Amino acid sequence: MWFLWAVIDRLGPSGRRTGDGLLDEAALERIARGDHDALAELYDRHARPVYSLALRILQNPSDAEDIVQEVFSQAWREAARYDRLRGAVAAWLLTLARSRAIDRLRARRARPENAADHRAVVNVADLGLPPDLQVLSSEQIACVRAALGELPVLQRVAIELAYYEGLTHVEIAARLEQPLGTVKTRIRLALIKLRDALAGAV
Amino acid sequence: MAGHDQLDEQAGLYVLGALTPTDRAAFEAHLATCADCTAEVRSLSSVAGALAHAVPQSEPSPALRARVLASVGAATEPEVRLTASARATASLAEAETRRRKPDATTGRVPVRLKPDATTVPDTTTVRAHTFVPWLAAAASLALAVGLGVYAAQLRTRVGDLEVRLREATLRADAGDRQIADARRTAADAQSQVAVLSAPDLARIDLAGQPAAPQAAARAFWSRSRGLVFTASNLPALPAGRTYQLWVLTAQPAPISAGLLRPDTSGRANAVFDTPPDIPRPTAMAVTIEPDGGVPAPTGDKYLVGLAN
Repeated sequence: MWFLWAVIDRLGPSGRRTGDGLLDEAALERIARGDHDALAELYDRHARPVYSLALRILQNPSDAEDIVQEVFSQAWREAARYDRLRGAVAAWLLTLARSRAIDRLRARRARPENAADHRAVVNVADLGLPPDLQVLSSEQIACVRAALGELPVLQRVAIELAYYEGLTHVEIAARLEQPLGTVKTRIRLALIKLRDALAGAV
Repeated sequence: MAGHDQLDEQAGLYVLGALTPTDRAAFEAHLATCADCTAEVRSLSSVAGALAHAVPQSEPSPALRARVLASVGAATEPEVRLTASARATASLAEAETRRRKPDATTGRVPVRLKPDATTVPDTTTVRAHTFVPWLAAAASLALAVGLGVYAAQLRTRVGDLEVRLREATLRADAGDRQIADARRTAADAQSQVAVLSAPDLARIDLAGQPAAPQAAARAFWSRSRGLVFTASNLPALPAGRTYQLWVLTAQPAPISAGLLRPDTSGRANAVFDTPPDIPRPTAMAVTIEPDGGVPAPTGDKYLVGLAN
């Protein structure tokens, strides 16, 4: 029945798909058939953002390169299981990268008392929600980057601690020496500003 | 449960993966029932995607590319590989796109009956066109529908032939049965004639017993030629039962003459060989017994008659 779904999907309202997104999906289909060249293509399009995110989280080029290798190995193994309805290939790769990098960050911190939190981060990749339905344009990314820079310092740091360091809101409150409620509110306000920036850039 | 403002805060934390495991479990339970929060999570998740891109970009070392590709090449194959038919479908789609292109010089659509160097699917060309999966899907669909129709036609044809074969076999069987029946009837008639014309013929009339008051039977007995037995109004047999005819003599034990199976109208006709070396019968009886008969009577008597 896979071909029926493919037809329905292509005929359906999928105007948000860009050429790059389709190229990625085609590459994954070929990877699922064991095509090494397709993996090279995927690597050439996405290694840079994957590496950059891992480097931002781990602050160490060697560790970041390990993450890149792990992510593309996983993509090679699991290409056939990739579900296009769950989001763009780029978002999938970045979700894998973030999950693995934060995993390693926590292992590096080696805080056994936070074993439960460790599991929580691993589960981020398994959320049943699309991490990002769209392939973001470079304009959108630039806008979010600019909006992040314009946030009040505490809002920005709270977001960064949550997303790039994998801290829970409880840990963020402790790190920033702020009441829990304040941290929650700041994160929410920051996310809304970033969302508006993203929407304005379309 | 917390107020909805707090839940809105939870949505943001959830998207960032910043909830504690306990809070996350509670929020996910809430998500299952709250369309508002689900929509909020969906909308904020694009921000999380943007944050992944918003970091300073830097290039990994060129050596990493070789390392990644080499490690994957040396590693195991992808978990699930598509079948050869899927690849053939892609080739079909490729051939289809080629076929549709009119020849530039003649303006005609080239039709190649034999594969040659140019129609052999070129995988690099397949890769370059992102519409190929669509075509492959369409071609596969058409192929599947076509095969399905053909299979259905074949099934119908085979079914038709099977029916005709069965009818012919039944007719042949019926013919064989009729011949066998005729032979048996002729043999029975000969036996009956032989018995009935025997010089030592004796007759025993049997009367219905309480189990079958309407039943009646007559036996012609000749020690040298056999026994002719006809009965009427015998009750239909239940499953697993049969009627058995017994010959009573001066000996204490009844002797089995054979089994009887009445037709639907309750009639039974049979010719039995005379059990050898028995004295002249003093009486006859029919009992109901288990299928196959028994050495000595066990069931109810249906018919009983005394010799004169």
